[in-house]
Amino acid sequence: MVPAAIEPTRYSMLYAQILLNGLVLGGLYACIAVGFSLVWGVLNVINILHGSFVVLGSYIAYFAYVHLGIHPFLSVILAGGALFALGYVVQAGLINRVVGAPVLTTLVLTFGLDLILNNGMIVAFTADYRTVQLAHPLGSTVVGGLVLPLDRLVAMLLACVLTVILYFVLVRSSIGRAIVAVRMDREAAALMGVNVKRIYAITFGLGALMAGAAGSLLSLIFPISPLNGSEFLGIAFIVCVLGGLGSISGAIVGGLALGAIQSFGALLIGPQHGLTIAFVLLIILLIFKPTGIMGRRGYE
Amino acid sequence: MTVRPIYVLAALLLVAFLPLVGDNYVLRLGTMFAMYAVLAQSWNIIGGYAGYPSFATAAFFGLGAYAGAILQGNGLPMPLAWLAAGIVAGLFAALMGAAILHLKGHYFAIASLVLAEVLLEVTTSWTSLTGGGMGLNLPVIRMSVEAQAQLFFWAMLGLAVLTFLMSWYVSSSRIGFALRCIRQNEDASSMVGVNTTFYKVVAFVLSALFVGSAGALYASWVFYIEPPDVYSVLTSVKPIVMVMLGGAGTVAGPVIGAAAFLVMEEVVWRNFLSIHSAVLGLLIVALIFFLPNGVLGFIRKRKRTGADHSKETAA
Amino acid sequence: MGFSFKPWLLSVMGAAMMAVQPAAAQETLRIGAPLPLTGPLSPEGLKQQRGYDLWAETVNGKGGIEVGGKTYNVEIVYVDYESNTPRAVQTAERLITNDKVNFLFAPFGSGAAKAASSVAERYQIPMIAATASSSSVYDQGYKYLFGTFTPNQTLTAPLTNIVADSGQGVKTVAIYARNDLFPLAIANEMKASAEAKDLEVVSFAEYAIGTMDHASALTLMLQSQPDWVFITGYINDLILMRRQMADLGIKPKVLTMIAGPAYKEFIDATGPLSQNVTSAAWWHPAVSYEGKDLFGSTANYVKAFEDKYGATPDYAEASASAAGAILQLAIGDAGSIDPTAVRDALAAMDTVTFYGNVRFDETGQIDSLEPPVFQIQDGTTKTIYPEAVKQGEMRYGDIQ
Repeated sequence: MVPAAIEPTRYSMLYAQILLNGLVLGGLYACIAVGFSLVWGVLNVINILHGSFVVLGSYIAYFAYVHLGIHPFLSVILAGGALFALGYVVQAGLINRVVGAPVLTTLVLTFGLDLILNNGMIVAFTADYRTVQLAHPLGSTVVGGLVLPLDRLVAMLLACVLTVILYFVLVRSSIGRAIVAVRMDREAAALMGVNVKRIYAITFGLGALMAGAAGSLLSLIFPISPLNGSEFLGIAFIVCVLGGLGSISGAIVGGLALGAIQSFGALLIGPQHGLTIAFVLLIILLIFKPTGIMGRRGYE
Repeated sequence: MTVRPIYVLAALLLVAFLPLVGDNYVLRLGTMFAMYAVLAQSWNIIGGYAGYPSFATAAFFGLGAYAGAILQGNGLPMPLAWLAAGIVAGLFAALMGAAILHLKGHYFAIASLVLAEVLLEVTTSWTSLTGGGMGLNLPVIRMSVEAQAQLFFWAMLGLAVLTFLMSWYVSSSRIGFALRCIRQNEDASSMVGVNTTFYKVVAFVLSALFVGSAGALYASWVFYIEPPDVYSVLTSVKPIVMVMLGGAGTVAGPVIGAAAFLVMEEVVWRNFLSIHSAVLGLLIVALIFFLPNGVLGFIRKRKRTGADHSKETAA
Repeated sequence: MGFSFKPWLLSVMGAAMMAVQPAAAQETLRIGAPLPLTGPLSPEGLKQQRGYDLWAETVNGKGGIEVGGKTYNVEIVYVDYESNTPRAVQTAERLITNDKVNFLFAPFGSGAAKAASSVAERYQIPMIAATASSSSVYDQGYKYLFGTFTPNQTLTAPLTNIVADSGQGVKTVAIYARNDLFPLAIANEMKASAEAKDLEVVSFAEYAIGTMDHASALTLMLQSQPDWVFITGYINDLILMRRQMADLGIKPKVLTMIAGPAYKEFIDATGPLSQNVTSAAWWHPAVSYEGKDLFGSTANYVKAFEDKYGATPDYAEASASAAGAILQLAIGDAGSIDPTAVRDALAAMDTVTFYGNVRFDETGQIDSLEPPVFQIQDGTTKTIYPEAVKQGEMRYGDIQ
């Protein structure tokens, strides 16, 4: 794939640029996956709705920008808040009723809910691709021979900031500690007076919040359409398994790893195989090291 | 109280007379029913009896479809291609099953789901063999339209009957006993001497064989296949919904579920064009909340409460 | 189950209404149109639907089609095949056997049209494909398939000639194609066209369907410093790529994207980044023909479309309307709605429509169109070729 015409001195620059592309992408991937990972880890629910939640966040950012002129970076709050409410209601009203049921039940339930939400978005917003066309894009700049796409970079940094905030919420706040307690031992937490169902609803809401926030940031980067939901869900799957389940650091490591794998895969094997490599790696990891790169045992 | 398997078998054989009364459209629905019955009954072996949440049906189906199409394209007669496709899918299941069946719960679900994704990507990339994203056309069959419709209907129904006999046999044999033990408590069954790994792999292979053949039959029937269709995640999810609808872990349930699902799907598709996937979603949600043990479970419960009631009044 | 009787009910009601109508009883001509109304191809499916609807409404507004002493109202029977090609084949068959349609419009794109064509052939129902361009769709020896797009190389060759002969020093081409039937086919045609004009193809890469990031592929492309970047894909791919090219500072002398820039959505979504993007399509609202069809001139068609939808038609929408108009002309020529007679009339057709000259070669693919080349200049598309409809000069450079 590498054109023979490139002189050796430019190889290092090329690799550096590819690595940078991969890391920027990976930061965004991490933000997509972190909410999915949280829900899986604490509730033991694979939330098939997650991809559609991301898309819904993008739509909120899109309409906020088009009608109210709010920059998508600020819409993070709006989209996050709206999605938290939606997630809370879905968990409290529906999923909580079957949360102790076999894996298959919750999987199929969220799949059914996803069909409804996704179809609803197609009816409401059509499947046409929309984009947030900023009046004042930041453009890109060149630092030391590396091209830095600024809007992407800022989106990625904000994604990281959000992820860190989530980490501190889980570690420091009383609700966060309750979530962690439920994750470790549901019965013990219940005995300690934690309202487990409420904690479930809040956790699911937080997962949706992170999806909405990610969607808001991504609205600047990817064309928006309900059809992207399944792509985002796929990314969340891979990142979670790569990094290891249920931990925030796992999501970050998994996201960055996936970004780098795709970037270098495109360089070394060809862009059409980027996804294949990621999936093959995923299977290999599952077979030989199901706990992910970070090596921590997931909630079982 | 359960529906006796022999009744279901009789019903399946009765369906074989469909060409006498229906036009091509009815035959098409009949063929779809038979295909769904194959998928649902096959999934029931690993998902229902053994309780493993497999999402690998699409992988077996797509692999079978492509294996059949490629073999037919290279001159293998149609029935042999269908048989070979089943064997290919079965071998794939044996290999992959040995690798991923030690995973539990969500990890197994994801690993099985990803099998289809990997095959999808490989099929799309391997353009020289599979035609890649352009899809693959199957050789034209020199036969009248009506004869083709009947041929594929009977072939698919025959496959459904074979799958049924397999499922029936498994249910009453040592394999079925072992699988039910695994579902209830895998560690305990292992301790009392059940070779759990062996039986799980057997179940995985049995859930792949007929699906692979169904994929190849489907390819011959629609004479054009493309990766996103045959590896569609819906192909993995629909059989699960059918089995849940009919009653998991039973012999008759999957067949009843396949018929019920087909009727619902067709009605929804014809009447709610732009929102049919949302209506399908609603059905799934309703199923989980109101019919958690399927139609058979519902009947059983009704009978039981009815019996209790009559006892009370008698006393 | 009760729902499934709705179509029955409607037709009963319709019959009752017809009975009380004082005018001469009108019959209905049913045309089946399997379309991807949901799923990844739904934007394209909805475009085709707009084109067909406009034709059907115009026909019925003018009192229907009169042929053989009868007057037919047109009804288009849409079925959604969920962007799933085998389902398109099934629906085509269902439309014939169950809905008893008289004619078919093909599903979207080359792949699905090819797949569905065998159904039309088996039942001997004429099928017009409004969006299938690849020659491989038509060279199967089928007699009932007709297409309103010329072969792919008619899109790449004129543009290559213009660029190669411009004297702007364009020597190298980088091609980046979506790994999918039409985009890949057109990329291969581009390679052939470029080599025929002694341009060096410095890179030829493919990307998978559903790729969400092109940074690495584009970074690699940047290494070979191509004068001309030629990208194929669908509109979402192209929007994403156009933005990433800008992010990475890739500024070739010529940037060509197919197919997407012909749609207004592309300009809306990329804004200033659309400047000087070139493309080619089978039709453009700037062309001017005096047709013998119901729309008459191209200008009339554009106006009718704008009145109905408040937007300018693009080539996909026009081609769908043209499919209807051509079918109508063929029914008129045949003097009946007999499928075989209409099929023969289509094969023998040599006429002019708002869409352009219409004549089908022996495979059934139109061979009388001259697809326009155009460039987006300051937010509007300007045709560059053919000379007869030229609106502006090709610009080089100034790619942001």
